[in-house]
Amino acid sequence: MPQPRHSGLNNMRGQIAIIGMGLTAQGRGLGATELELRRQALENALAETGLERSAIDGYIHASHEREDIRYLGLSPNFSWPVQSGGATAPSTFAIAAGAILSGQAEMVACAYGMAPSTPQPGAARGPLGSFGYGYPSRVGMIGAASAHALHARWHMDHFGTTSEHLGAVAVQLRQHALHRPDAITYGQPITLEDHQASPMVVDPFRMLDCCRDTDGGAVFLLTSAARAKTMPGVRPIYIRGMGFGHNIRNWHGRDVYAHHDDIAPAAARAFAQAGITLGDIDVAQFYDPFTISIIMQLEHYGFCNTGQGGPFVADGGIARDGKIPANTGGGQISGFYAAGFTPIIEAVKQLRGEAGATQVKNCNIALSSGHGLNGGVQNTWSHGTLILGNEP
Amino acid sequence: MNDTANLVQGDPDAPFWNAWREGERFLLHRCGICGRHEWPATCCIEHGLKAMEWVEVSASGVVDTFTIFHRAYAKELAAEVPYALAVLRLDAGPYFHTRIVGIAADDVQSGMRVHVRRGQQDPFPLFVPA
Repeated sequence: MPQPRHSGLNNMRGQIAIIGMGLTAQGRGLGATELELRRQALENALAETGLERSAIDGYIHASHEREDIRYLGLSPNFSWPVQSGGATAPSTFAIAAGAILSGQAEMVACAYGMAPSTPQPGAARGPLGSFGYGYPSRVGMIGAASAHALHARWHMDHFGTTSEHLGAVAVQLRQHALHRPDAITYGQPITLEDHQASPMVVDPFRMLDCCRDTDGGAVFLLTSAARAKTMPGVRPIYIRGMGFGHNIRNWHGRDVYAHHDDIAPAAARAFAQAGITLGDIDVAQFYDPFTISIIMQLEHYGFCNTGQGGPFVADGGIARDGKIPANTGGGQISGFYAAGFTPIIEAVKQLRGEAGATQVKNCNIALSSGHGLNGGVQNTWSHGTLILGNEP
Repeated sequence: MNDTANLVQGDPDAPFWNAWREGERFLLHRCGICGRHEWPATCCIEHGLKAMEWVEVSASGVVDTFTIFHRAYAKELAAEVPYALAVLRLDAGPYFHTRIVGIAADDVQSGMRVHVRRGQQDPFPLFVPA
């Protein structure tokens, strides 16, 4: 098997800063177009930083639309679509960093806006089954839940993980979201009994193991650390490290289901760049469309032993005062689904001290992950790791 | 250069579908150098496409993992739920996604040996317990 390689050019630590985060409301049926959500998110990011539109000289968008820069009134040097599914968010940051470090732009906007729960003008509805992919869809493998359910079943068979362990994740996420007005399930507690009583969707996933689509926009403004230092009134969050891995490697190696993505090379590169170890992480924000996602990522990043993710969460391991507070905004399952931007948004809120009732004390280094766009067959997703810090 | 002799013509997976449709023969894509089997059509990770050929194999294997659909995500699947969608490890090596039939969905287990069902004119190879 080809092994992941490291270029050795690990010198970007702290050179790129996130100086603005503009968010729209995140929720069901907001009634706006996706383009409009990106517009409002951009305006909020500009307002937060005091920058004018003309300062944006690079635009990277998690979409395929051409209209953004016209509608948004931007005049950048480039407008690049980036698509790696739920790993798009960290991918846009890597590309923005490359553009800044190679002198192509000084101020890059990374823009997201999706409205899956609002009808879009002119949108043609895809054929039934369009959420399937490749040959497995021909026998009825449709939807992301079923793909993740294959991981969950494998984990149960090999490690004794139970439906109650999955339920412990759902309940913990709801515990976080319960106290967060920015979560779609604010003020709505659930119990393990509620989880067990929720209808089976794709065994072993019940309804409460799954996230729901929500509408929302998010724009991040990235610049060099040197430029950030010249900007009064901004609070830079630094990119300490990032890394990517692709689970197609484990498809070729015929060991897909033990791996929720190919996290090892992504984590190794990100931590090497950041110059830190796992114990330095104050808060983790995982991409979590389904409950198994948190269990497997806790294991593969090394926050707990292999196979022990379920008991770890059931024992309070990701609570605000747990061993590694995780998905403190309720994640995608109980917070909101802004694809790979959900974990980055919460990481930035935690580092800024803006996480409200679930703020982690002395939070200075955050881990964030993205996951998505399979490599030609389900379960072969890309994975992106970001390590963000208050210091470069 | 205008050499099309080495371009695979049309759908690279067509030999698999044609062999199944015409005679319920189950083919995999095999590298003639290292003997590694693939599905769907894939370049060998060591030797590329140059020695890949379609060969008939015994359509049997083991359930590696599975999920049971309790919802129909397309109207043509409404009569099928609940159904067990499984990922097999074929005896020849590669994974294969299929549905396990001839058994109640709730009785499907990981580790179960299965082989392809023939004689039912299934448009897609479905598997039954061995």
